Amino acid sequence: MLIDHLEILHFRNHHKTVIDWAPHLNVITGPNGAGKTSLIDAIHYLCMSRSFVSTSDMYVVHKGESYFMIKGHFQGQIRSQFDVSCSYSRGEGKKIFVNDSPLERLSDLIGMVPVVTLTPDDKKLTLEGPAERRSFIDGFISQISPAYLRNLIEYKKIRKQRNTLLQEYRGPLNVLESYLEPWNVQLVEAGSKIIAKRYEVLENFKEYLKKDYAMISGMDLSTNLEYQTFCTPSTNVDDIKSQYEKELDRVLDKEIEREITTVGPHRDEILFLLDDFELRKYGSQGQHRLFALSLKLAQLHYYSDELDDLPILMLDDVFGDLDLHKTEILLQALEHHKGQVFITSANPIPFGNFIDFNDPDNQYYTVQNAKVTLTNRP
Amino acid sequence: MQITSEYLEQAIEQLAKLPGTGRKSAQRIAIHLLKQNDEYALKLANAIVNLKEKVTRCSTCGNISDKDPCNICENPKRENGQICVVEEFNDVYIIEKTNEFRGRYHVLGGIISPMDNIGPDKLRIQELLQRIGGDENINEVILALNPDAEGEATSYYINKLLKQYEVDVTRIAYGIPMGTELEFIDEATLSRAFASRNAF
Repeated sequence: MLIDHLEILHFRNHHKTVIDWAPHLNVITGPNGAGKTSLIDAIHYLCMSRSFVSTSDMYVVHKGESYFMIKGHFQGQIRSQFDVSCSYSRGEGKKIFVNDSPLERLSDLIGMVPVVTLTPDDKKLTLEGPAERRSFIDGFISQISPAYLRNLIEYKKIRKQRNTLLQEYRGPLNVLESYLEPWNVQLVEAGSKIIAKRYEVLENFKEYLKKDYAMISGMDLSTNLEYQTFCTPSTNVDDIKSQYEKELDRVLDKEIEREITTVGPHRDEILFLLDDFELRKYGSQGQHRLFALSLKLAQLHYYSDELDDLPILMLDDVFGDLDLHKTEILLQALEHHKGQVFITSANPIPFGNFIDFNDPDNQYYTVQNAKVTLTNRP
Repeated sequence: MQITSEYLEQAIEQLAKLPGTGRKSAQRIAIHLLKQNDEYALKLANAIVNLKEKVTRCSTCGNISDKDPCNICENPKRENGQICVVEEFNDVYIIEKTNEFRGRYHVLGGIISPMDNIGPDKLRIQELLQRIGGDENINEVILALNPDAEGEATSYYINKLLKQYEVDVTRIAYGIPMGTELEFIDEATLSRAFASRNAF
């Protein structure tokens, strides 16, 4: 899948920008704050219906304006030609259109244009709490399985209803139990499917991670990951269901006392291991950096094998703190990858040494005060 | 700017509160009404007053009606041992238009949703149980609630309570709407339709 044309209006520091993209490597350089990331963030909106930088749509509207608009033209194997546009205004909220026809739900967009992003924020994946890793795996699987995304949305809603019931209910215990039961049944149903899918994907993902860590680090430390949930994970949904029901029974008193749902995939953790040591506890800065990078490259390679079309890859300012050797390995990997790639960099990396800009499939852009210029070479 | 009729302004403000009506449409409606003869305006006003004063709820099924019990509950031809459980009276209206269902209804008056502070005790579930235990000779309860988390929770809860009675509990089928094409069906509906497929 690739985007060949992008138009943005009132988006972050861009007032109005129109660009044609190259089908393979697109390198975007320019000083800090020039508007490089905004360009690929706009593409991200058309893939995932949200920013990978900002948490709220409100803050990406150009200062002094009341709305933003992004429009892109895509082509690929799954669908040969189509337009995606995204508009947001303070009054009307966010809307997504595919070929000018509005999507009923924003979530319908996810997976239409698969995307993998590498950003400096990736270090949170290995350094910070389990919520970061859950959100990584949820975004990961949602792009390849609409059913998974649906279960996630459903699970969240059921959990919210159940939590409210636990918090608000004041009355006899046996009545509360009978009120909880209809929610328990649905929680178990949606939750078990989520766990089974996470387990299935992570088991396959392990192998990709091993290969990519070895490739990028050049060292033969073995990586592994361990999916931890309240029960023994399995790909068998019925198996998880029966364990889930038992566990809910077991913790009932605790849940009533704490007024919150304590069992389920919303508490899952993924442990990252390097030579059997837990990375989060024992890893060095450099190991964290490389691990996070491998996670995203593994995602890219997993998608490339699993999907009928190649995902779009974005690297936002990741070359800044890589040594020259690692930079070279990464750029070689990108050359090797057949899909479309976007690279932003504030630093003058010698891209010209690794990327052939005479090839019309590659393109070099410079951004200065939100104005994009096409240059033939660095 | 000066407003020459406070009454017109008030009418616009009230009309603008109607669903799907903005201030512009409200203005158009109010001016239209103003141009009509007195008789029309009175009829409309009366219709609105009657709607609030004369429409009541049937004490048996909970449906809206001009009298209690309602036409459906009173009709001996509708006594076929079936009760269809729905969330609100507008669902009755929709099902009646199909002219397929010849039994009686039971309107719950809402759906279980803790987030909206609606528990089973706020719905007409006890009344349903009384009817089933009563002299209506009910042998089948058809659950016709929305297929979302709240509808499912409500169906589950009622089904569980009905286990103590000798009635069949069924639910309406979920799947593909008539007159549409497979390609326009979302995956959730389609997988559900697959799960509840039946013999040809």
